Amino acid sequence: MAAPNVIEVKKLSRIFRNGDIEVHALKDVDLVIGPGEFVAIMGASGSGKSTLLSILGCLDKPTTGEYFLDGVHVTGLDKNELADVRNQKIGFIFQSYNLLPRTTALENVGLPLVYNRSSLFGNPREIATKALQQVGLGDRLHHKPNQMSGGQQQRVAIARALVNDPAIILADEATGNLDSKASIEIAELFVRLNDAGKTIIMITHEPDIAQYAKRIVTFRDGIIAADQTVAQRTPVHLPTSNKTI
Amino acid sequence: MNTLKGTKTSLAFVAKIVHIALEAIVKNRNRSFLTTLGIIIGVAAVIMTISAGEGARLEIEKQIEGLGVNMVMIRAKQEPRGGIVVRVGKPITVKDYEMLQQNAVWINRVSPVVGLGVRVISPWGNKNSFVYGVSDQHFDIMALQVISGEGFTLADVKAAKKVCLIGETIREELFPNLDPIGQEVRINTVPFTIIGLLEEQGQFMGQDQDDMVVAPYTTVVNRLYGDVNFNSMLASAIAEDHVEDAKQETIALLRESHKLLPDEPDDFEVMTQLELMEITGQITGILTILLAAIASISLLVGGIGIMNIMLVSVTERTREIGIRLALGARESDILTQFLIEAVALSAAGGVVGIGLGVLGNFLIYKFTGFFIPTSYTSIVIGFGFSAMIGVGFGYFPARKAARLNPIDALHYE
Repeated sequence: MAAPNVIEVKKLSRIFRNGDIEVHALKDVDLVIGPGEFVAIMGASGSGKSTLLSILGCLDKPTTGEYFLDGVHVTGLDKNELADVRNQKIGFIFQSYNLLPRTTALENVGLPLVYNRSSLFGNPREIATKALQQVGLGDRLHHKPNQMSGGQQQRVAIARALVNDPAIILADEATGNLDSKASIEIAELFVRLNDAGKTIIMITHEPDIAQYAKRIVTFRDGIIAADQTVAQRTPVHLPTSNKTI
Repeated sequence: MNTLKGTKTSLAFVAKIVHIALEAIVKNRNRSFLTTLGIIIGVAAVIMTISAGEGARLEIEKQIEGLGVNMVMIRAKQEPRGGIVVRVGKPITVKDYEMLQQNAVWINRVSPVVGLGVRVISPWGNKNSFVYGVSDQHFDIMALQVISGEGFTLADVKAAKKVCLIGETIREELFPNLDPIGQEVRINTVPFTIIGLLEEQGQFMGQDQDDMVVAPYTTVVNRLYGDVNFNSMLASAIAEDHVEDAKQETIALLRESHKLLPDEPDDFEVMTQLELMEITGQITGILTILLAAIASISLLVGGIGIMNIMLVSVTERTREIGIRLALGARESDILTQFLIEAVALSAAGGVVGIGLGVLGNFLIYKFTGFFIPTSYTSIVIGFGFSAMIGVGFGYFPARKAARLNPIDALHYE
């Protein structure tokens, strides 16, 4: 049997109600993403891409439709099961990093391990340290968010997303708050993680960043307007054997 | 769901949540401190105010008991008329006194009490004070100790001798650094010889009990009062068990002495020690309620303090909850964490508040001599209420946030 699709959504809709007004953020979206893919999602503001990512990340629920994640029928799960799915199967990266303030990089990265009901074995400190080394922050273990640059904070967030070895990494405009140099560093980090076998979906507004992905899905008005393979990927300049990975 | 690695909540897992909660307290020092401060102030204020009320009640009860538990008080009936209290019945007379002395079986001691405001003059000073004309038995009825010199005798009373005993306040002002025994003092215009000094008694319901002169009632009535009638009498029952018998007997004898017909009401009042205690108990009860009201206000203020700091941090905490939910925390994990935080802060604040309250009571005792036993009720009320507010305002906003979709909690503003 072939490996199951990492993500499979069928006829996914999300309707927001604000008083009498109904907003159809997603309209019957079908999408399949296999293991090892690196997908960039593009589209104007309000096109539904962030709504989709929130649903894929189990942070929000679809109004109708089916969602299978790594073989698990997510739309049939209760609250606690959804929490465990977020914990063990998803690594979510936010535009605004969403690190806990006054908390060191190591503790931030260790947070998903706290809520992991399966990983009581193993040394959480060691695992978190390894994840931080993986993103090149081995020398910033005890720095707090306000002592780090935006790029560094985002890398802490990426390490946090990796720490439970999830089935998929979801990044919602991970480079949106960063300058171009830091953006490229993050994009290259994604490429290397993808090369190492991680399935990644990232939302981005920047065509340059999208060119690091293998596939670009474009949203417009709640539907998929285009879905194409990237012919000319931006090459990663640093060798993959770099010690940061 | 076999594809997830582990979904069971173990004890070790709960330990991790406890650790997270305690860590959060330490990380947010300012918020933790302010929350705790609100609880500390609330608890300490309640303990001190309620204890003060209880302390006052106990003190008054103690003083009344100090008067002698067997005491029976007799006085002419008084009623307020046009704003002043006037005697409405027959006065208490020597005849009444003799009636009790000769016929009462449940009473072993009785003394008239004639009290009036006078001016007391010595070569070293003079002051306004009170003189009480009593019999020689008064000292036993009131358990009044003579610490130097001696009390007067029945012979002194019969002879209406111009002798007196003085209280400590009088001695201090009129005979500074002198032995007053044997000295002469003028009360209004009449010279008296001081034969004894009364034991210091302190204040009783705001009155200086040492600012008085005690003399034979015969002398007071003849020389100072100008009226042969008494204001009142004091008697003591032969035993504690017979106070009520003594009261009934006194009523019967006085009715006879006043020649009252069976259908006429008493024109005098007889009150026992116990009844006096009940009345003052009502007064101090009002005092306690008043103090409790003040305490509730301080609790309210403390409570609002706690509430404010909790609500101010709700935005930050809602985002924090969103992050934790996004990383896989269950609603119950969040609730456990916030409950532990709130309980720990309330408990810490409560303990410090109790300590502060007890210390405050002790300091009051140290500096004013007014002993305030810390009341357990006040601890329970103060701690209970503060903890309720602390836990309530820590827990319920957290529960609200934990029930949101993670994405809504993350975007909360």
